[in-house]
Amino acid sequence: MNNTAASPMSTATSSSGRNTGKSISFATELQSMMYSLGDARRPLHETAVLVEDVVHTQLINLLQQAAEVSQLRGARVITPEDLLFLMRKDKKKLRRLLKYMFIRDYKSKIVKGIDEDDLLEDKLSGSNNTNKRQKIAQDFLNSIDQTGELLAMFEDDEVDEVKQERMERAERQTRIMDSAQYAEFCESRQLSFSKKASKFRDWLDCSSMEIKPNVVAMEILAYLAYETVAQLVDLALLVRQDMVTKAGDPFSHAISATFIQYHNSAESTAACGVEAHSDAIQPCHIREAIRRYSHKIGPLSPFTNAYRRSGMAFLAC
Amino acid sequence: MASAPGPERDLRLLAGCLPLYPPPPPTVGLLSMEQQETYLELYLDQCAAQDDLTPPRSPLFNPVVPYGMYILNASNPDTAFNSNPEVKETSGDFSSVDLSFLPDEVTQENKDQPVISSRHETEENSESQSPQSRLPSPSEQDIGLGLNSSSLSNSHSQLHPGDTDSVQPSPEKPNSDSLSLAPITPMTPMTPVSECCGIVPQLQNIVSTVNLACKLDLKKIALHAKNAEYNPKRFAAVIMRIREPRTTALIFSSGKMVCTGAKSEEQSRLAARKYARVVQKLGFPARFLDFKIQNMVGSCDVRFPIRLEGLVLTHQQFSSYEPELFPGLIYRMVKPRIVLLIFVSGKVVLTGAKERSEIYEAFENIYPILKGFKKA
Repeated sequence: MNNTAASPMSTATSSSGRNTGKSISFATELQSMMYSLGDARRPLHETAVLVEDVVHTQLINLLQQAAEVSQLRGARVITPEDLLFLMRKDKKKLRRLLKYMFIRDYKSKIVKGIDEDDLLEDKLSGSNNTNKRQKIAQDFLNSIDQTGELLAMFEDDEVDEVKQERMERAERQTRIMDSAQYAEFCESRQLSFSKKASKFRDWLDCSSMEIKPNVVAMEILAYLAYETVAQLVDLALLVRQDMVTKAGDPFSHAISATFIQYHNSAESTAACGVEAHSDAIQPCHIREAIRRYSHKIGPLSPFTNAYRRSGMAFLAC
Repeated sequence: MASAPGPERDLRLLAGCLPLYPPPPPTVGLLSMEQQETYLELYLDQCAAQDDLTPPRSPLFNPVVPYGMYILNASNPDTAFNSNPEVKETSGDFSSVDLSFLPDEVTQENKDQPVISSRHETEENSESQSPQSRLPSPSEQDIGLGLNSSSLSNSHSQLHPGDTDSVQPSPEKPNSDSLSLAPITPMTPMTPVSECCGIVPQLQNIVSTVNLACKLDLKKIALHAKNAEYNPKRFAAVIMRIREPRTTALIFSSGKMVCTGAKSEEQSRLAARKYARVVQKLGFPARFLDFKIQNMVGSCDVRFPIRLEGLVLTHQQFSSYEPELFPGLIYRMVKPRIVLLIFVSGKVVLTGAKERSEIYEAFENIYPILKGFKKA
């Protein structure tokens, strides 16, 4: 039953013409990324391969939808506006993306002020680079916003709970490390798809598409890929926690994901001997997480077609 | 001073054996110049054992200035002298103390007193690192201050009728009292004083602007000047470089100029002057108006690894840490308005300052926070 969830994805992959076999594999990078997001010290290779599969499929689908949108507009490149348009339904994730774009702008502004060579470069290329992503986002959301709720997001200062949980988990993870381990952890955290931009492009096979994404759109796609991995790890950790039965603890299902690692390390493995090897996330956790995520629960779920359209629930948007 | 013999006597007992000052001067009316000098010299001689510095320069003899001097000499010299050791211990608290009651001239002149500032430094440096060491001192401070404030208020009311406004708030602020008694602490120290370990941020880059106040022919400048590049299609300014101080300048046709790359304020000014000279020699009536430092960048190393995940969690409203984007944590300090880039290795880059003191202040603010997240 679990496998049926995975197989349509793998058939989709092979049927989309990529049967040269994915010579480009991000499995090792994904293993590091999963470690930095909360997985065990050495995540399993099978899990990484499965995660890669999931992320790849979701991104390809996303790209195809974005291409359709830009075709509707009559444009020749996939722009960040198309991706923002696809994400308009989920406010929280959209807000996270916007925050990411602003931080990117801010960081380039600061780094520019520090190095005088950067300053010259920037002056030479024209000073319209400052806050360009912010401007793009603001202009676009301005144009599609009918009810004003999208624009309200710019002033919104609510705490992003998911991000908060991730930060707490990382903090807990790093507290018990020594400096050598911590240095390694920091290196893993710095890995991202945007660092390996060309490999990422080839992995998505952008060259064979008629409508290609531009630079900023590629940045956003790299970010969405990372978000997908992060979401998968979050959900898999929750699933794993659910699978552990703690007899006599009525509130075990209500403990948040941040408590998982803490709880596991505090409790000795002798108490529940099954846990000995389950430090790393297993593929079954990932599959269960996806199954639950795609399964809309609620009285009207059989009648909603929002996600059925693509046959897939996007984790990142 | 005759009105406050009691506390002074007690203080004498407390002080133990201290060298006696010459008797206190008449309390009514201002001291004459000679008397001022005498007391100043005597006071300085006592400090000479600690510092080998020349006495302060003449600005001190401005009658307005030696506010602190009056207080030192006019009140019981024992009191004055006794306050010094206490001040040493509490010097670390100065950062939290409100110095606004001190008149502006005093604080400005204070900057010129190398004696005072170096004493301040030695006090700071001899302070031990842990904040717990400061705990015993407040009790001593209270004793000394209670007595000081009484003698202070007496002397103040007699000597400085004009300054009573500034004096009145002082009894309410015992900390400030100790400061006014003390050799005046400068509000902005001339030399950087770091909280501990003597880590001082080094300036790496200074960006400044100046107005040459005349229209310039960029083509002519580019043709005749050495080390000048001009590509009007790419950018509408001449890029000129000089080797000493090693800087780069962007010169615009409006006459405005941006100078980057200097490592100190003086160097930036000197370099800007050199560029202005070059332009002048080419025949333009260049002037040197509105030289202003726009940005200063400093960097230093705290020499221990920092756990950035903890820092970003506890200081969420100030910091952003996206390791996939940038390996350092971006900390936006509100006061002073400085941006700090904090790296895991312990390196800290400070930027956005308009003055050197802002960088030092920002580093002093962040250092205890970073120590809290030291990765063992």
